[in-house]
Amino acid sequence: MKKRLLTIALAGAMCLGLAACGSNSSSGSDEKKELTYSGTVLGENTDLKADITVFNHRTDLDSDDYNGTTWKEYLAAFNKDYPNIHVTITTDTNYADDALTHLQSGDYETVMMIPAINKSDLSSYFMPFDTLDNMKKEINYADTWEYDGEVYGVPSTATTQGIVYNKKVFEKAGITDLPKTPEDFIADLQKIKDNTDAIPLYTNYAAGWTMGAWDAYISGNATGDPTYLNQKFVHTKNPFSDPGDDTHAYNVYKILYDAVSKGLTEDDYTTTDWEGCKGMINNGKIGCMVLGSWAYPQMEAAGKNGDDIGYMPFPMTVDGKQYATAGADYSWGINNSVSDEVKQAALIFVKWMTDKSGFSYNEDGLPVSKTDDRTKLSFDGVDFVTDEPALKGEEDYLNEMNSESELNFNNGGNEKVQAIVEHASKGDESFDDIMKEWNQKWSDAQAANGIDVKY
Amino acid sequence: MTEKKTFSQWITSRRVQQVLICIGFTVIPLVLLLIFTYIPFGKMVQFSFFKMTYLTPPQARRFVGWQNYIDVFRRKDCFGALKLSLYYMVGAIVQLFLALLLATMLSFKTKGGNFFKGLMFFPYMISGIAIGFIFKFFYTRGFVLDTVLQWCGFNLKDLPYWLKDQRINNWSLVFTSVWRYFGQNMVLFIGAIMSVDSELYEAASLDGANKWEQFRYIILPSIKTIVTLNVILSITGSLSSFEQPYVITNGANGTGTYFVIMNRIAHTSQKVGLASAMAVVLLMIIIICTILQKLFFKYIFRDADSDDESYKAKKARLRAEKAAIKANKARLSQTKGGIA
Repeated sequence: MKKRLLTIALAGAMCLGLAACGSNSSSGSDEKKELTYSGTVLGENTDLKADITVFNHRTDLDSDDYNGTTWKEYLAAFNKDYPNIHVTITTDTNYADDALTHLQSGDYETVMMIPAINKSDLSSYFMPFDTLDNMKKEINYADTWEYDGEVYGVPSTATTQGIVYNKKVFEKAGITDLPKTPEDFIADLQKIKDNTDAIPLYTNYAAGWTMGAWDAYISGNATGDPTYLNQKFVHTKNPFSDPGDDTHAYNVYKILYDAVSKGLTEDDYTTTDWEGCKGMINNGKIGCMVLGSWAYPQMEAAGKNGDDIGYMPFPMTVDGKQYATAGADYSWGINNSVSDEVKQAALIFVKWMTDKSGFSYNEDGLPVSKTDDRTKLSFDGVDFVTDEPALKGEEDYLNEMNSESELNFNNGGNEKVQAIVEHASKGDESFDDIMKEWNQKWSDAQAANGIDVKY
Repeated sequence: MTEKKTFSQWITSRRVQQVLICIGFTVIPLVLLLIFTYIPFGKMVQFSFFKMTYLTPPQARRFVGWQNYIDVFRRKDCFGALKLSLYYMVGAIVQLFLALLLATMLSFKTKGGNFFKGLMFFPYMISGIAIGFIFKFFYTRGFVLDTVLQWCGFNLKDLPYWLKDQRINNWSLVFTSVWRYFGQNMVLFIGAIMSVDSELYEAASLDGANKWEQFRYIILPSIKTIVTLNVILSITGSLSSFEQPYVITNGANGTGTYFVIMNRIAHTSQKVGLASAMAVVLLMIIIICTILQKLFFKYIFRDADSDDESYKAKKARLRAEKAAIKANKARLSQTKGGIA
């Protein structure tokens, strides 16, 4: 009996294997057909009939209570243009992990946000949209998921680094121009403290990761140099010294130290509440918070005063110019094992989401599409900088430095920023001494890892 | 000639079944213990001599000898964090006294005794993470604790910041720990006290013993095993306290206990070798503490049990024996002399 069961199971497995081979080979032979992002024109091919499935992380867009456009509304609009493409959207709160499980199972959705996989593995799961050169004409951040000249992902939206603030509070405090230097910013926070009841700057100390978020400002925002973070930082001698021109890491963290030591932050930093802060800034109880632009829609949606919330550039000027680090959010990828018709429908869906849906605009992102460059972020006169990847052979340097120095930049190093708040509050260590310690740790780590100092 | 047994008969025979079950019941737990406890522990000890992260392939791990152990003792944050355990030890002692007091009171006839037992045991059943969140709001400026104290006539201005002020924030966390565990200790004590023969109390009260004397001479000696156990568990627990500081303050603001620091070094900074060395050092400290406590209790409870004897008594007995031997010898030599 047992033997018979085993035989059946084996036979079943073989059949499945054969079936999988069959579908693969059929899609392989038809590949000559034009299936590219640039070759897909919206408005054409409107009678195409297909069923596609979509998997993503935006569970909030599933809810009818969502203040912005919901998935239902996007789909209704999409089906006006393409009535015969039937789209099923699934969302997941634990997306980053579950998406990988879906991929590994081999049975995954037609369109999904590409999770954290190696670029060399892209082609085994996803179909190439187009060549990098073609894609660069269609979208921004085209090289986010580029491998060997082919692009496998189209960013759903793009985020940048600035400060989320309450316009009404700023107005009430008498601030007319947004601050452009750390000095102005501290002066403005003082104005908020003097003229309003709001907490000028909410640190979100207790949540931890919200403190680590300050690390995101030391690259593009503080230097204007796209190669700084991934190429120069590890080779820099004493990167936390004061360059004297109100830029670089030293002055980023100094804003925090000064704000705390001058009493421009909340009364008791140890009991800050991340979920609560959203409603507080919405109601005008908080002046501003230092968070990436992804936080902007959440603050808007947290109460009735969404229109009061604004997003401004980080108050730092490098050689007379303001910069902001920008980068792609999750990107759409298309399953490479489905039939060509379904692929075509998926391409149409992705291109429609990018060019016509206004998704990026609705979600307060930076424009991804070249044809739809609307954005709610008031970053006039600010240059966007996208961090370039590390040089070949040096990919692991930043990780090694982070580990050895235990400073962990952009890598969960929340304690070091929390310590700035603690020392500023107690006044038991000057900011220069803290930075001296960091420099020492950085230099020791450079020596321990054998990384040469070039800058 | 006896019939030859088939295999199935042999295997189902009583004697073989007995042996099989004996082997099964010893081997399976031992194998599980080996695989999930001792081999990982051995690996951890091995890791503590290497400089490595989680993802370092075995051939790239660098052997550094005792360097990690030297670092543990040299770094301010590693060994300094053990000082925080003192707070938790004080808390543990308070907790045990409280539990013992309440257990004794509740084991006599008390109105609503079961209700109080349930009420005080309840915190132990809430998950540690939930307790963390409860107390985060409890200690927030102007929230629960401050409000209650204001009812009692305190002025908010005079109240400290329970988690911000580094002079008291560890006590705040220790209180949370005591609040959570004293009920459990109490229930264990009550269980032990229940097993004391109630006739003893009657006899004692007839002899004119008051409640304190009943406690001192009847209850305490009867439950000394469970007291010892609870003390040892509480002290080792306070050496490795983790949940409260991790959830409430994330180990920030001077509340990072040894475990929190170890977790940070292992998982954020990925210094697996150093963290393993910290774990081994902590194990040594816990073993030493346990042995010291064992000795201490042996001394404390020496006259409670006839098997144990106090140091003095032992000395006296030995002296008496020596004297007896001497006397014997003397007698022998005398008799010898007599013969000679």
